[in-house]
Amino acid sequence: MRRRDFTQGLAFTAALMLGSSALPLPAFAQDKTITGGFDVGPGGFPKNFNPLAATAGFMWLKTYFEPLVIYNADLSALEGALAKSFTVSDDQKTYTFALVSESWHDGKPFTSADVKFTLDLARNKASGSVFAARLASIASVETPDDHTAVVTLSKADGSLLSILAQVMMLPAHALADIAPESLATSQWWSTTPIGTGPFKFSRYVTDQYVELAASDSYRGGRPKVGKLINRYFENAAAAVSALRAGEIQFTYVEPDDAKTFDGDNNFRVIKGDSYVVNYIGFNQKVDLWKDVRVRQAVMYAIDRNAIIQSLYGGAATAANCGYVAPHLVPEGLNDYAYDPEKAKALLAEAGWDKINGDKPITWLTYYGTPQAANVMAAVQAMLAQVGINVVPRVVDTPTYNGIVYKQDDPDWSQFPLVYAGLQNGPNPAGINVGLNKSQLPPAGANIMRVEFDDLSAAFDAALGETDASKVDGRWQEVCRVMNAELPWATMWVASRYGVASTKLVDFVWTPAPAGGPYADHPERWDLK
Amino acid sequence: MLIYLLRRAGVGLLMLLALSVLVFLLLRLTPGDPVSAYINPSAPISPEALAELRTRLGLDQPLPVQYLAWLRAALTGDFGYSIQRGGAAVLPLVIERIGPTALLMGCALVIAVVVGIATGIVSAVRRNSGLDVALSVIASLGVSSPAFLTALLGLYFFSVLLHIAPSGGMLTPGVPFSFGDLFAHLILPACLLSIGYLALIMRYMRASLLEVLNQDYVRTARAKGVKEFWVIVKHATRNALLPVITLIGSTIGVAIGGAIFLESVFNWPGMGLLLVNAVNSRDYPVIMCATLIIGACVIAVNLLTDLAYAAIDPRIQVAS
Repeated sequence: MRRRDFTQGLAFTAALMLGSSALPLPAFAQDKTITGGFDVGPGGFPKNFNPLAATAGFMWLKTYFEPLVIYNADLSALEGALAKSFTVSDDQKTYTFALVSESWHDGKPFTSADVKFTLDLARNKASGSVFAARLASIASVETPDDHTAVVTLSKADGSLLSILAQVMMLPAHALADIAPESLATSQWWSTTPIGTGPFKFSRYVTDQYVELAASDSYRGGRPKVGKLINRYFENAAAAVSALRAGEIQFTYVEPDDAKTFDGDNNFRVIKGDSYVVNYIGFNQKVDLWKDVRVRQAVMYAIDRNAIIQSLYGGAATAANCGYVAPHLVPEGLNDYAYDPEKAKALLAEAGWDKINGDKPITWLTYYGTPQAANVMAAVQAMLAQVGINVVPRVVDTPTYNGIVYKQDDPDWSQFPLVYAGLQNGPNPAGINVGLNKSQLPPAGANIMRVEFDDLSAAFDAALGETDASKVDGRWQEVCRVMNAELPWATMWVASRYGVASTKLVDFVWTPAPAGGPYADHPERWDLK
Repeated sequence: MLIYLLRRAGVGLLMLLALSVLVFLLLRLTPGDPVSAYINPSAPISPEALAELRTRLGLDQPLPVQYLAWLRAALTGDFGYSIQRGGAAVLPLVIERIGPTALLMGCALVIAVVVGIATGIVSAVRRNSGLDVALSVIASLGVSSPAFLTALLGLYFFSVLLHIAPSGGMLTPGVPFSFGDLFAHLILPACLLSIGYLALIMRYMRASLLEVLNQDYVRTARAKGVKEFWVIVKHATRNALLPVITLIGSTIGVAIGGAIFLESVFNWPGMGLLLVNAVNSRDYPVIMCATLIIGACVIAVNLLTDLAYAAIDPRIQVAS
């Protein structure tokens, strides 16, 4: 293979030197083919084929794999996918899934044995599964018959269904012979994976694109297009170029690029809630932020509405706690309206001069977009007005993670303050991992080392609530405590954008965190 | 000659060993590792799970142990597997990319050499004419245009605005291979990559030829009644080529750097794109292997350049 590629390269060069003078246009497929940058942007996870190792990219993975349950297209509720229905016992510890009649792409039937195989594998750390810790509450998976799977929990877990929405079912008959330890490095994922989705894996051209072919036997009907192609791009700007050139029909775009498509009849701009709350995180291991009045001063010093209007074009919602969804936000919250004088007074009361004064404070972030740079510059200027001297430091994601996740002797001075985002929906438990004291590293990702008893108690109560009618109230309590204690200076939840060609018919996309998954029904997508 | 080659090969191997140590240390000094590249900050996973991943990848071992383990395996041809790509073997992955990069660089160099030498000769022969001035201005623009600017401008004009060339990739996804399709994808990045070298070669060729044209043996050839065409082609150009060959050889390394950038802009599936991706995701095994192969190529090209001197100018001999 490699020798052939190398020889081909030399042959191409020779052919060119021999005088190919015309400039032929690229070849085009005969079948209907939808090509998109489906893994572009924060919801994508390009070049990952193993759903057990996926931390994003579920929108694409779901086109050929499927989970048991899935969010609907507006992410407001969970519905069945490979489970046509499910019931939950009164104590919220037993989940019974009634499975659909479906076949794997190789023709073998999908059964409850596959569900048990997948969930056992996903809970097994040896498989390299990133779900192992999140599925720890599962005590057993039973299969009373081929079309029923019963999941029993050791304790109630309100997040279970939302986690299961990201666990793609895997074929036991194809993978059972591979040791779990070898699965993470198996080439099966990128060469011959078998799923149950509307499209089946056709081929992967390394780092270029993945091609899927319609599955004729899909229970939702044969897809309307013959091929679905996911093209990889180095960045969103490159994908936008391909979109404008007509080479792809869809991609995620940065907010500034989205504006350039306004009024263009060839494209449809799709806007949606990012479900990521942006915040300024206070590292509780440094002495700067111990006094709540200092944290309040930060909130009062920042004119969030002005930033939302001028830098986000109004496409963001100010957050007064970790949530902005109306059913999770109680009445009577402090809105921390812009008031620099109050900020100065609070800092004076807290003795900011003695705590830090005008000494520079590193403000770490992994957000490297021009928009984020403008936002941080604006916040820096606003904080400077009240006497807080922050200095933005932008690093790439691995560097950021390397700093904030460092286990042995972390250097707190490298991240006294961060600008970051955390998934706050559709499952509101998403922010628990960053704020509950039970999630302090190494157990969890509470990287700012927040140890507020009231807040942790509120999270625990919400997570353990078994009465569905009380769940929203529990999360509202989390919101209320966050608003009062300010473990973070919550900023906003911004919109994200995708742009689709108007040639695409019945195409559904939403900027779901980690790419969802959600019921976008790719089998219905078509091209005019 | 054989001894010379063996000596150069030995020195080359030592340089590769030193390069591997240097790259290994630089990678470990860079903040973040393959596991930290794996985390989506807005949907994090527990450090406990990350620690387990690190153990599985051997990243928890002391640095000398890690390096020796890598070196031992590398000496047997096993460069490990790509962490980012979930287990794809590194060596085939890297070798697969040599062809596309060689194709892109080769085409760019051919364009640069052919057009650069031709325009350099024309410019020197028509010295101080309007054509010479025009070519010199264009060459100055070419030399001073950074690759990132020409690449992005070229992409915007020819692909986005004019739609006469694809915006990226090496082949159209989903269609059978054809030379025409490949050529359509290749021509724009190859031309853009060639601009800087073409301009440089043209200037060197012009200056070198002007110097040669003033030599006594050229005057003698003219006095003997040799036609001007043959004076230029046979007597002057051959001698004027030496510094140009030196330039081509010495800029191969720079050309690889340019190809890395072009490949990123045009999503060309070569070594450059592979390396940029690997660095962004801290894919250590891929970075090590790709760097060593690029280093080996540069060493080999420098050796070939030295040998080419002897072939072109019989007065130069390789010391044994």
